[in-house]
Amino acid sequence: MKTPLKVILTAAMLSMGALSAAIADDAFKIGFIVPNPIGDVGWDHELDRGRQAVAEHFGDKVSIQAIDSVGEGPDSTRVMNKMASQGVDMIFLGSFGHMNDGLKLAKQYPDLAVVHAGGYQQADNFATYAVRHYEGAYLAGMAAGYATKSNTLGVIAAFPLPEVVGIMNAYVLGAQSVNPNLNDVKVIWMNSWFDPAKNKASAESLVSQGADVVFSLFPGTPSAVAASEELGVYTTVTLSDNSAFAPTRHLAAIQVDFGPIMIAKVQEAMDGKFVGNDTFAGIGENSVSVAGLSKDLSEEQKSAILAKQDEIRSGGFHPFQGPITDNKGKEAVAAGSKLDDGAVKGMNFLVQGIDTSLPN
Amino acid sequence: MDTFVFVFAGAFATATPLLLAAMGELVVERTGVLNLSVEGMMAISAAIAFMVVYTTGSHSLGFLIGAVSAAALSVIFAVLVLVFLANQVAAGLAVGILGLGLSALLARSFESETLIPLRDINLPVLSDLPVVGPILFTHDPVVYLTIAIGLVLAWMFTKTRLGLILRVVGENPEAAHNLGFSVLRTRFWAIVFGGCMAGLAGAYASTVLTPVWSQGMIAGRGWIAVALVVFGTWKPLRVMFGAYFFGAALLAELAVQSLGIDIPSQIMSSMPYALTILVLAAVSKDTVRIRLNAPVSLGENYRPSA
Amino acid sequence: MGDLIPWRIVPREHASRQAVILVPAMTIVLTILCSIVLFTALGASPGLALYAFFVDPFSSAYSISEILVKASPLILIAQGLAIGFRAKVWNIGAEGQLIIGAISASLIPITWPQSTSVLMLPAMILMGVVAGMAWASIAAFFRTRYNASEIIVTLMLNQIAFQILYYLVTGPLRDPRGYNFPQSVPFPDAALYPTLFGGADIRANLSLAITIAASFAAWLYVSRSFSGFRLLVGGIAPAAARYAGFSQKRAIWISLLVGGAAAGLVGVGEIAGPIGKLQPILSPGYGFAGIIVAFLGGLNPIGIVFAGLFMAVIYVGSDSALLLADIPSSAPIVFQGFILVFYLAASLLIHYEIRGKAAVKSGGAA
Repeated sequence: MKTPLKVILTAAMLSMGALSAAIADDAFKIGFIVPNPIGDVGWDHELDRGRQAVAEHFGDKVSIQAIDSVGEGPDSTRVMNKMASQGVDMIFLGSFGHMNDGLKLAKQYPDLAVVHAGGYQQADNFATYAVRHYEGAYLAGMAAGYATKSNTLGVIAAFPLPEVVGIMNAYVLGAQSVNPNLNDVKVIWMNSWFDPAKNKASAESLVSQGADVVFSLFPGTPSAVAASEELGVYTTVTLSDNSAFAPTRHLAAIQVDFGPIMIAKVQEAMDGKFVGNDTFAGIGENSVSVAGLSKDLSEEQKSAILAKQDEIRSGGFHPFQGPITDNKGKEAVAAGSKLDDGAVKGMNFLVQGIDTSLPN
Repeated sequence: MDTFVFVFAGAFATATPLLLAAMGELVVERTGVLNLSVEGMMAISAAIAFMVVYTTGSHSLGFLIGAVSAAALSVIFAVLVLVFLANQVAAGLAVGILGLGLSALLARSFESETLIPLRDINLPVLSDLPVVGPILFTHDPVVYLTIAIGLVLAWMFTKTRLGLILRVVGENPEAAHNLGFSVLRTRFWAIVFGGCMAGLAGAYASTVLTPVWSQGMIAGRGWIAVALVVFGTWKPLRVMFGAYFFGAALLAELAVQSLGIDIPSQIMSSMPYALTILVLAAVSKDTVRIRLNAPVSLGENYRPSA
Repeated sequence: MGDLIPWRIVPREHASRQAVILVPAMTIVLTILCSIVLFTALGASPGLALYAFFVDPFSSAYSISEILVKASPLILIAQGLAIGFRAKVWNIGAEGQLIIGAISASLIPITWPQSTSVLMLPAMILMGVVAGMAWASIAAFFRTRYNASEIIVTLMLNQIAFQILYYLVTGPLRDPRGYNFPQSVPFPDAALYPTLFGGADIRANLSLAITIAASFAAWLYVSRSFSGFRLLVGGIAPAAARYAGFSQKRAIWISLLVGGAAAGLVGVGEIAGPIGKLQPILSPGYGFAGIIVAFLGGLNPIGIVFAGLFMAVIYVGSDSALLLADIPSSAPIVFQGFILVFYLAASLLIHYEIRGKAAVKSGGAA
């Protein structure tokens, strides 16, 4: 009688992210800080899926406390500090903006293991991770290159951050690789962290310019995806499979999976072998994949995309291998070489065929 | 769908939530009350209307219950300023915060869900006209309803006794009281009307325009609505013009970007706001006209002396 | 409506002294009652939640320092805004003035990131104040020259300030060695306010002294100076003010410049304090929260100090409540909304008393 009850209770607590005395004191305590409310798709949803994977993998060996909607800025420090002072063993920080405060926290609590998404600074007990989103973007771009009839692609992106620029470049290179007739790709920068109405209007604007595949790049909302279904154009999207929001028009999604990275870091910390390194995982580590491919793509097209995915997995292909020219006509990557990880993470050029500019 | 049609047809839908909320706020301000909780009222209605439409599939029911929920919030505001004589700016901000918090709390399990929006009405012949058809005659019913409300309000303020009472209450509450009108009763119903309108605006934003629920999705539109009332110098037809102008400016930004015109996109994103300042300055320069229209007692509480 | 209410509200001759105790007490009792319902409905323990909101913030030196970190900018902005609000000049743009102040101040450490000069921080403070005033003066110009409502102009300027910040931080002012991430170089120590009380995790810093000095100055200005009186008259009765030879234009300029200066100072306080660099998000809405603090404090410099501290306790308590009581992240916002609504309702007692209708009649005869 006792065992099932305990299992149910533990599962309930884990699913609620509750820190509770009911969980054995010797459990490894992990705090998760997520920047926004958790929806059905997108960044925070994927972080939360990673948390669930950790909970499932380690069972009652870990106790998890999760807090969402902890934005960037001076207030997030307080939440981190509070968690640390309550004796949490490990903290996952979910936003680039948590970097500086997280580093200070790690310095102050040398026994605490901190894992931060998206940053570039490490310390002995402060590790970072990121996924090679651009690898999946190349594949989604291939799908877009195949599917477009007007040879015009549109991209909606939040802000010109280096990771965003890298994803956009890989996407366009992927599309160009299968479609030599591609026109210049049209881009709208939202310049807003979050605005569903503007997101949808951006999709409409791109379509009014002739775009028939709309790429929603870190939009923070599925509005543009849903709008594409309504407008009758194909849509591609980052982070999560958005098929549910565009049942007939969802062309391809770049699906990320933070689970493997998070589980590995938790295991390290539990074993007392935590390393403050950077993890940059992609298709090869099952952290990125192409998902939700439309049935409108032909079998040959699908298998070409999946074959390219295998080629990336095996290391036989890199989306940023030269020659690559930037959109000002300058050589960005020489023939025969490829960008190293530092250059990928700090991407500050747009490839030829993208009709927008970056602040400099 | 070319750029011109995108901007000017889209402006109607973009402007509709701004205009609905601004019309409500206009009536409230005309009676001398400044209600700054529009953002919060829109949010609570957006959340509740979304949940209703999501579960029942009925947009009418969503609009109705959304309007009622925002009106309920506006009653809290009304009680604060009319009964407890609280400062209107502070009360508006406080109720606004309450609305934003409640919306996020109530609809938290609907985060980032989407809906099927209302269909556009295609009018025979008219909708098929080139350019004019898509710009003027291909919209959802709420767009037309909103225009109708604007026209009715314009007529009410200039031609009816009710409009006169509302104006007297805002211009000179003491005189209205002496004439036998209840200042507080008038203001109360004006505030509730403002709440209903903000509710319709929020419901439109979450169930038709976007159509998605997310915490913070109103994204400052309530504040724009408050701004539009002053922008339109408390005149319904000018507020309508202002709302469509602002809607078009918002879309023009996106159109310019997607045309690939090489201007830093942040400059484009600032444009609607900068334009608003300049147009406001041009409109307000005629101080006589402003003074004629601005409700004299705006922001001041009224306590019946007898 | 008036006839529907079974009591009458009668103004007091003097602000009630008992009310100073009674109003907060009533607010807290009403909030607790409402919260018990709210937190129970959410399946959380109301006792634990209330403990987190009101007691936990005082449980450690760290928490108390955090209250000061949070209260200082709120009080400073509110003091600046209150001077304008008393004159009925509605500056809703403190958020934008804060951003522009911070950007301008940041130019100094970004230009000389290795400097150890003691002049650096004072120069930043000066830059921040001047820039905050300059941004606010746009609204003053449009208001006095073109009669354009300062509510709208300041509101629009907030949006524009945000875009400017974002342009600069993703472009010209970004850290060249920061992998193009949107933030500036970290500021050198000379560009940071010294922290108080020692301790590695204590973030309270010397900017607190500025807030205290500004609060004192605001108190002197309002209670002792002729100019403060003129602003008050200019707001309450423009005609009387004109008659007495006071210019409404001057009131608008002074109000916006003072508000802009205070907001600019807060901007410096954030980048030279807890943040230590320029980044896309500088303020968790201090510009708007400052408006509420100004009103909670009754637009009175001393009241604002208490209101700012109270709001800071609630903010710090909110973070504790999320961790201790396991409530949804939006619940603290609702809780804050309740407190504000109840406080505003209860504040009636400061300037008015409530009498039964019958009592009024006999009272009138007496």
